Amino acid sequence: MARVTLDGVTKRYEDVTAVDDMNLDIGDGEFVTFVGPSGCGKSTTMETIAGLTIPTEGEIYIGDREVTKLPPKDRGIAMVFQNIALFPHMDVYDNISFGLRIRNYEKSEIDRRVEEAAEIVQLGGMMDRMPEEMSGGQRQRVAIARALVREPDVFLMDEPLANLDAKLRVHMRTELQRLHRRLDTTIIYVTHDQAEAMTMSDRIAVINAGKLQQIAPPLTCYNEPANQFVAGFIGSPSMNFVEAEVAGGRLEAENFHVEFDPSTTDGIAPGDRVVLGVRPEDIYLERTAEGIEYATELINARTDVLEPMGNEVFVYLVTGNDTETSMDVAAGEASDDQLLMNVDPDTQIEAEEDVSVILDRSRIHLFDAETGDALRHGLIDVASAESGTPERGVGDSD
Amino acid sequence: MATETETTQTQAERDQSDDSGPFQRWVSGSISEPGRAYRPMFWLVTVFFLVTTLFPFYWLFMVALTPEGQLQNVVFTPNGFNPGVFIEIFQILPFHRYMFNSFVIATVTTAFVLVVASLAGYVFGRLRFPGKNPLMLLVLLVSFFPPAAFFIPLNDLFNTNFDILEPVLSNGSLYNTPYALVIPMSALFMPLAIFILTTFYSQIPDGLEDAARVEGTTRLGALFRVIIPLSAPGVATAGVLTFIGVYNEFFFSFLMTDGQPQNWAPVLQGILGFQGQYQTLYNAMAAASIVAVLPMAILVVVAQEKIVSGLTAGGLKE
Repeated sequence: MARVTLDGVTKRYEDVTAVDDMNLDIGDGEFVTFVGPSGCGKSTTMETIAGLTIPTEGEIYIGDREVTKLPPKDRGIAMVFQNIALFPHMDVYDNISFGLRIRNYEKSEIDRRVEEAAEIVQLGGMMDRMPEEMSGGQRQRVAIARALVREPDVFLMDEPLANLDAKLRVHMRTELQRLHRRLDTTIIYVTHDQAEAMTMSDRIAVINAGKLQQIAPPLTCYNEPANQFVAGFIGSPSMNFVEAEVAGGRLEAENFHVEFDPSTTDGIAPGDRVVLGVRPEDIYLERTAEGIEYATELINARTDVLEPMGNEVFVYLVTGNDTETSMDVAAGEASDDQLLMNVDPDTQIEAEEDVSVILDRSRIHLFDAETGDALRHGLIDVASAESGTPERGVGDSD
Repeated sequence: MATETETTQTQAERDQSDDSGPFQRWVSGSISEPGRAYRPMFWLVTVFFLVTTLFPFYWLFMVALTPEGQLQNVVFTPNGFNPGVFIEIFQILPFHRYMFNSFVIATVTTAFVLVVASLAGYVFGRLRFPGKNPLMLLVLLVSFFPPAAFFIPLNDLFNTNFDILEPVLSNGSLYNTPYALVIPMSALFMPLAIFILTTFYSQIPDGLEDAARVEGTTRLGALFRVIIPLSAPGVATAGVLTFIGVYNEFFFSFLMTDGQPQNWAPVLQGILGFQGQYQTLYNAMAAASIVAVLPMAILVVVAQEKIVSGLTAGGLKE
């Protein structure tokens, strides 16, 4: 078990910077997930920790040792790979014991550890199978057992569930969590699947374009995203973003406005362009909006497409007068007159229906239109807040 | 050949009842049923290759069985019967010593080529560095030169005495030592082996090497424990091609030793040894040729499965 510290780690290739000034401090026994879109540098960051890639700049510490230039074998790490990477010419026993045999452990010790690891991942009685004779989930368990027997200080897992089918993925997800609880080892986990990140981690490190965007517990990333990228990446379906201009006493979006006193927040002045962010579950139909303490004024909209998911229904809303469906919606682009709303499955609603919706002001996020940095979470003005719910400004996160 | 054409013609005649000529009928029959044309062509070509490759061996065998001095009228049967020649060749000359020499030279060369070409193949196949392709071309360039181009400078070099070699070699020169053959032949067969192994090693997924390194091997350890075992068909192909190539090589084998078995003369010199100044023992030469070929034939039969998969497939699934 050990801390892992990255100090200004940068990896440049000839033409691109894959990892840009990464600073991380991962605690002993912590489960940290690197999450981000494909090609964001999360795997490269992990490779620098593993020693498979040497960073161009910066230092890496595992425990108290600096390991920046050490080869992988001397770092006290074990890794589970995305493509599983079992040695095809060795049976399960040889695969699991590979690292121990390289290190000349005694036969009895190897047997003991292999047996123990096989028991943890439930692989009993498969010791002489070849990898090609096993299913995807079994292979993945062998790969995890191979990492377990080494009793490493740090586990690195590079999208270990990516090649499994959906059902098995969910199953292995819970098994990994159980494993972490049992071993209490530092685990660094890479995934592009934000659901995996949310469910498994102690903390999530959101990475984009080689830069660390935010590292925080999953719910903090969800409720208080540090910037527009984190807000859009964490949560499914994604947060709605609408551009707005700050005016005296309110935010003017193209088709609606939200009451807001700019003087209560530092860094926002009338005339500024901001991006207003609101999650689909924080938009309510007028008729179901009872109990929302800080509602916005009514916003007129027309329903476009309904997506019933069984437990909920996603409703695409078009605000404003232009009810023609614009093509950029189909392309998945955020559009200023589009809002995605999430309603109960038993709600009476149809496509092409004129409705009035409200937003929950306590759940609205404001981002700087240029930098994307979060300016404010929750638009309850200090003055107008009658009681309770304290202001949640940026930087208040625990 | 003639019989095959006839059978197809009779078949065609049976099928066709109009009064066009036999060749026309055969053609139209072949068009409607192409197998009719392909089958005789297959046998034609197969028989041709079998005759051109195997008949010389048959004839060699007949010449070997024919007693000395009666080498007239040998076509399909030997002129007399003398199987004892296969014993005599070991009595007239220490032919076994020549074979042993060739085996040692071929084995050492193959081992050396495989080790060096594996390292080179790893570098060319798995690492990225500037100037890789020009360097690879340079290596392949060696194999474009005719071996004769290297001979005179090498022969000169190997006949030069180097004091530094005195403790290892009696007179300090490489002439009449196995090194005189191992060194140039390693150089000649190295490019091919590097090329084959580069192709194979480059196809091993990066993840496997990474896994081995994380598990505790060095890069070299990963090469020998994971990459080479997984590239076994490629390594076998490169090894067998080198071994056969060195064993069968003529030019350097003929000129880099003085032909004495104790001076590491290879099997070629053993065969030519039956050709004296006043007398040429054709039957012994033929018998020696057959004996010399046998080990290679056995090697090819044993390794053929690997070689075929090595030459054709090369694809490895993870």
